[in-house]
Amino acid sequence: MSSPAKWEAVIGLEVHVQLHTQTKMFCGCINQYGGAANSQVCPVCLGMPGSLPVPNEEAIRKTILTGLMLGCRIAPVARFDRKNYFYPDMPKNYQISQFEDPLCAGGAVGLDPFLFPKDLQESDEAKAKRSIRLTRIHLEEDVAKSFHYEERSGIDFNRAGTPLMEIVSEADLRTPGEAFAFLGSLRQVLLSGGVSSADMEKGQMRCDVNVSVRPVGQKEFGTKVELKNLNSISGVRRALEYEIGRQIGAVEKGEAIQHETRRWDDDAGATFTMRTKEKAHDYRYFPEPDLLPVRTDQGLRKAAESGLPELPAALQARLMQENGVTAYQASVLAADRVLCGYYEKAAAGTKHKAAVANWILNDFLATQPDPATSPVRPEFFGELAGLVVEGVINSAQAKKVFAELMANPASPKAIVEKLGLAQISDVGALAAFCDEAIAANPRSVEDYRSGKSNAINALKGFVMKKSQGKANPTQVDEILKAKLSA
Amino acid sequence: MSAPKLNVADVAGLARLSLTPDETTKFTAQLSQILAHMETLGQIATGDVPEVVPPAQPVLRPDMPTPSLSVEAALANAPAQSNDLILVPKIVE
Amino acid sequence: MSLAHETLASLRRRLSSKEIHSRDIVKDLLTEIGTREKTVHAFTHIDEKAALAAAEKADSSLPLGGIPIALKDNLNALGDPCTCSSKILEGYKAPYDATAVARLRQAGAIFLGRTNMDEFAMGSSTENSALGITRNPWDSTRIPGGSSGGSAAAVAGRLAIAALGSDTGGSIRQPAALCGCVGLKPTYGRISRYGLVAFASSLDQIGPLTRTVEDSAILLSALAGHDPRDNTTDLRKPETFLSKPTGSVQGLRVGLPKEYFLPGMSPEAEAAVRGAAHWFEKNGATLVEVSLPHTPAAIAVYYILATAEASANLARFDGVRYGRRAVEPKDLLDLYHRSRSEGFGPEVKRRIILGTFVLSQGYADAYYRKAQKVRGLLRQDFESAFTKCDLLLTPTSPEPAFPLGERTQDPLKMYLADVFTISTNLAGNGAISLPCGFTKSNLPIGLQLIGPHFGEEKILQAAHAYEQSHDFWKRMPPV
Ligand SMILES: [Zn+2]
Repeated sequence: MSSPAKWEAVIGLEVHVQLHTQTKMFCGCINQYGGAANSQVCPVCLGMPGSLPVPNEEAIRKTILTGLMLGCRIAPVARFDRKNYFYPDMPKNYQISQFEDPLCAGGAVGLDPFLFPKDLQESDEAKAKRSIRLTRIHLEEDVAKSFHYEERSGIDFNRAGTPLMEIVSEADLRTPGEAFAFLGSLRQVLLSGGVSSADMEKGQMRCDVNVSVRPVGQKEFGTKVELKNLNSISGVRRALEYEIGRQIGAVEKGEAIQHETRRWDDDAGATFTMRTKEKAHDYRYFPEPDLLPVRTDQGLRKAAESGLPELPAALQARLMQENGVTAYQASVLAADRVLCGYYEKAAAGTKHKAAVANWILNDFLATQPDPATSPVRPEFFGELAGLVVEGVINSAQAKKVFAELMANPASPKAIVEKLGLAQISDVGALAAFCDEAIAANPRSVEDYRSGKSNAINALKGFVMKKSQGKANPTQVDEILKAKLSA
Repeated sequence: MSAPKLNVADVAGLARLSLTPDETTKFTAQLSQILAHMETLGQIATGDVPEVVPPAQPVLRPDMPTPSLSVEAALANAPAQSNDLILVPKIVE
Repeated sequence: MSLAHETLASLRRRLSSKEIHSRDIVKDLLTEIGTREKTVHAFTHIDEKAALAAAEKADSSLPLGGIPIALKDNLNALGDPCTCSSKILEGYKAPYDATAVARLRQAGAIFLGRTNMDEFAMGSSTENSALGITRNPWDSTRIPGGSSGGSAAAVAGRLAIAALGSDTGGSIRQPAALCGCVGLKPTYGRISRYGLVAFASSLDQIGPLTRTVEDSAILLSALAGHDPRDNTTDLRKPETFLSKPTGSVQGLRVGLPKEYFLPGMSPEAEAAVRGAAHWFEKNGATLVEVSLPHTPAAIAVYYILATAEASANLARFDGVRYGRRAVEPKDLLDLYHRSRSEGFGPEVKRRIILGTFVLSQGYADAYYRKAQKVRGLLRQDFESAFTKCDLLLTPTSPEPAFPLGERTQDPLKMYLADVFTISTNLAGNGAISLPCGFTKSNLPIGLQLIGPHFGEEKILQAAHAYEQSHDFWKRMPPV
């Protein structure tokens, strides 16, 4: 029997993403979560006899945009197909989907090392920065929502017909950590393009996982198992960790893996058989005759290109190179475009861009702000960083200024003034400190006068100490020199 | 094209139809005859003929909301409903 | 004379000059219906009160103001039943207007009666209706044709001024021919299908059934044009058809496809159609023999593609959201199976099974995809024929109306009767059927004129010229 280290997992993901649009995929009903049951429906999305679908241009544009962001080939002419199966949440008992000519093919998701689970960020698998190939991205309609009672189920068709994008990966993933990083990295890209909020816990991103195990070095795949009911990115990791362990345990005992669908139970921390796949579904795909093929090469692709954001990888590289932020900071900023925009505004008016990043990502973020609506103007952080670097205030004072900035947002310069934190620049006061210093340090005075110019530093130190660090060093230097040469 | 073996009951199941034994016998005979007629297509050379694809059209729907039905109208035809949901026998996976 | 006997064009003139009122027409039609509907059974539903109320409010200044029109029972009209002559749509009330219905309403038309049909438009005799058969007004022992048999019988039998039908493989033209009226199947994409209960989406077209070609043109003008709700409608600008009838066929090149004159067809029908061709020649047209070589494959291609699409289109009738639901289903699967098995008639079941089969794993390439390719060849046949001629002239049906019950047990023979109409649906072309004679036993014979894509004006001009120099359209059926 082989030891567990000799096994490897082969993982492929199918990710469904709800698109950000005003209306549904094939009708003008609003695409919004949370409406009263069956209040966002019409003859089209209820599958009433005689109704016809018309594709939502924006959903197609966002799918093409996703394809462009992930380096896919965009089909010049894409088609919709009917996928036939009976289910009460599918009003027509066929789903309009794409089979033969999807909008996007190929492409890849690069794994961001900082989007691995925290405990794996220093691991070799994170540092490998692998790129996971995609098979395709297609557009389809979502199904209705069912509620289950004792003997019956009730159906709310508000979600029926909302646009759903399916992203299918190649079976390139090898570890639960990689699957975790794949979903995080994909989410980052989707957020950057404004395609979707892609929150798995809200069902905006849903993921089916195919996983099998095989001895390291073997080319052929093992029997794959499909996992369902994965409701968070960390849930995907946990489910895979469990399932891979289960499969290795089974094959080591000489048991065969069943080709089946298993359900992840997050509370139990285990997967359970849902259905065995004796008979493959026969979906009888055929081209949707109600819809003409969609040309993307006459404007749609161009429209998508004009909406291309700076991609996370490019953004990170730029922030590191031009602003001197750390790799980790760049990853955090790339993951949150609103925060990133806030940071870039803050950094725009100052030379101290790295210092601004520290303020925003350490101190500001710790207060759990909403950068989109925060009354703390981003320029304030540029100003604050400047005050420190230029020596107007020291770091201890800066913390006080920050606290006040959060409590009563105002220009840091004004806060410094209000709190009396600014350095003392009053000539009379400084002269008094200097006289005191000269009187208390006759030795240093003598040294200085005998030509040891460094000796003045001891006198300056005395003044700074006496003034609790508030004395303006440049002025102190001038006054001391004048007094000593008198 | 080889003569297909049509299992009427199986295909009916895919289409969620149940047939009486009489219907099964009759449909099997009738559909076999019809399929035999369709076999003639096999003799037509279509090697490099592309499938008919309608012309691609640029007209799509702008992403602008239009009025939905009222809940009442949406459910008016439903054979069973409760709390504004359409009811069916319990869905079991 | 009863207003029920007049043409739409004539009633329109008299309504706009206020010589008559819409209610007069409705009342006269209801009188005719009262005496003959029992025999003909053209309708599945008549709402006299609603029709009279609508007539009272009719605005005769509109293009179709106050004209009553009958609707095939597969067109959604808000608040009305739409049974498709099927038990499965029992109790269903349309929650919206089909675009064609909305356009007629906008033009001022009112609706009187929903017409019988083969269930879900699947048939050529209207015998596949779950709501009873319709009889041919020329001989009540014979079928009216189908699937728009109710619309054709109503118009021919003076129970309606005009009606809408739908044509997937000849369902407007064949009953028009068999009942002796005018039936137009427009080019695919000419009229919106939104609200027409789909049989085969890539083949279905709505069209008018009328007494005259002029009436057909009037309705087509009101119905045609792009609809943002139907992705397959054409984008060209609306036009008024037959606004200046030429009455001439001088210089027209009329193609006679040799595959459309078969040895097995009725000699009387063939003679009448050849007579019509002769008339065209005598009046200055040139006759050209053309070939549509893939015609013999059309029926197989049609019954593969139409049933494949239908198998998906009819999946929505499952007893969940509307229509008939089986009583006390024991589980979900039982609900589906019983609702559908009890709700659909035998022809519908047969076609759903056929369509499911030709799409199923292992067979889709040999059937569905092969048929799509042959459909491409059929389309090329028409394109090349129209380089040699302006219109094609053919019989509409190989024979006049056959006796009720003759073919109900032989679906293949029934399917073969569609041989002259099916190809135009597969190729997308527009075509009209109009009367061109009668058999010795006084059964109407139909002439079909087929045009190039969006060649309706050409079709209507030629058909009108032919019609006006004959008086077949004026003959009254005996029933
Ligand atoms: Zn809708």
